[in-house]
Amino acid sequence: MAFDASDSMTAFPIAEADAANRPSRLEDEIVALFDRLRAPVLRYLLSFGLAVPDAEEVLQDVFLSLFRHLREGKSRTNLQGWVFRVAHNCALKCRLRARRDAERFSHLPDVSDVTADRGPGPEESMAARQRQQRLLAVVRALPEQERLCLSLRAEGLRYREIAEVLGISLGSVAASLEKSLSRLVRSEQV
Amino acid sequence: MQFKNAHLSEQELVLAADGELTGRRKAEVNAHLETCWQCRERMQTLQSAIADFVRARNRDFNEHLPPAAGPRALLRARLAELSATPRTWPGFALPVTRIALPGAAFLVVLVAILAIFQSTVNAEGPKPRLAITPGETRPITLNEVCLNSSAQVISPDIPESVRRQVFAAYGIKSPQSGQFEVDYLITPDLGGTESIRNLWPQPYSARWNARVKDQLEQRLHTLVCGGKLDLATAQHDIAVDWIAAYKRYVGENSAR
Repeated sequence: MAFDASDSMTAFPIAEADAANRPSRLEDEIVALFDRLRAPVLRYLLSFGLAVPDAEEVLQDVFLSLFRHLREGKSRTNLQGWVFRVAHNCALKCRLRARRDAERFSHLPDVSDVTADRGPGPEESMAARQRQQRLLAVVRALPEQERLCLSLRAEGLRYREIAEVLGISLGSVAASLEKSLSRLVRSEQV
Repeated sequence: MQFKNAHLSEQELVLAADGELTGRRKAEVNAHLETCWQCRERMQTLQSAIADFVRARNRDFNEHLPPAAGPRALLRARLAELSATPRTWPGFALPVTRIALPGAAFLVVLVAILAIFQSTVNAEGPKPRLAITPGETRPITLNEVCLNSSAQVISPDIPESVRRQVFAAYGIKSPQSGQFEVDYLITPDLGGTESIRNLWPQPYSARWNARVKDQLEQRLHTLVCGGKLDLATAQHDIAVDWIAAYKRYVGENSAR
C-alpha cells in the first residue's frame, strides 16, 4: 500500500491563526498534503487512462480546489476521501475533453511498452516479471468500475470511502472487488 | 455463513482479507479460517495475488511518475497567486473580499461586478461547482427509470433547510437567493439523489436556465428508455457539463 488509509489528515492541523497569517499557513498545509497524496492520487488518475501530463494538471486543479475549500472554512473531515472524490470527478471531466480532442486522447499505459526498456533487476526473475505483466494485463481488461475500485482499494481506501468516491453502493464495491480479485487469482494459477 | 462447517464464499474471503467484516460474522469467519485448511489456503492464495498486484502496480506506475519537485513548485506558485487575489466563486457567485471598502465605493464596485457576473452567466451559461455538486445517484434499475414518462415524474420538493445549505455552500446571500432556483443536477427520474451533492443554485434569468435543463432531462429520459443511450452515460454527461450535454442531445441552437 502506498500509505496507511487510517492515517488521519489532521496530522496537518491549522491553528486558529489570525486571518492575515492564514493563507501562508494554509499554503504550507496544502503543499504538505500534496507531497503525501500526489503519488497515490496520480496512480488513481492514470488508471482512468489519462496521460501523465493531463493527470498532473488534474492534480493541480484538485489541490487548488482543496485550498479554496479550506480557505472558506469548510469541513476537514476525511480530506483524503475529499481529494480522491474531487480527483475522480475532475478526471471524468478531463477525459471527456480529451475524447473530444482525438489527438490528445491516450489509452492506459501499455505495460509492454513501458517495461520494454527496463531489463530485469538482478534479484528479479523473468518469471516474476512475466507474472506481474500478466496481472497488469488482467487489470487493464477489467470493466472500468472494477478497475477503479481495485485502484482505490490499492491506495488504501476503505469500502465506504470507495463507495463515496465512485457514487456506488457498498454492496457494489464488495461485488466489484470480489470479481476483480477472482480474476487476479485465476491469472496466477495459469 | 449459513452452516458452521460450510466453506467460505469468495466474497467472504475478500471481505475478511480487507477487514470489512464486523461483529458475529467476523468472529464466525475467523473461527472457520482457524479450523479449515482449505479455506486458509484459498485465503493465502488471495493475499498472494493482492501482494503481487500491488508490487506490479507500484513498480509500473512509480517508475513513470516525474519527480515531484516541478509540480510542487508549480502548485506553490499557483497557491501564492490565489492567495493574493480576492476570494471568488468560480462560475457565478459573487466575489468576496476581506478588505473593507468605504460604503459608496463598495456599492459602485458591487454593481459593476454584478453586471459583469450577469453577462458572464449569459455568455457561458451557469454551471454547478464540481467540488460542491459533483452529482450523486442512487441505485436504480432501467425498469424503475422507465416506469413512468419523464413528464409524469414529479421531483420531490427540496426542503427549505436544504435550500439554505445549497445557497450557503455557493456563498449566495439571502437577498440574492430569490434569483436562483435550487435544482437537481442529475434529475431524480434519472436516478439523482436529494443530497446536497446533487443540488445547485441555478439562476432564473440566464439563457441556460432551469426550463432549458428540463428539456435536456426529458430528452435524456426518452433516449435512455428508448435504448439509445445507457443510463450511466446519461447520468455522467448531465453531471459533468449539462450545457454540453444539451448541445449534444437536444441541439446546439435549441436553447436560443
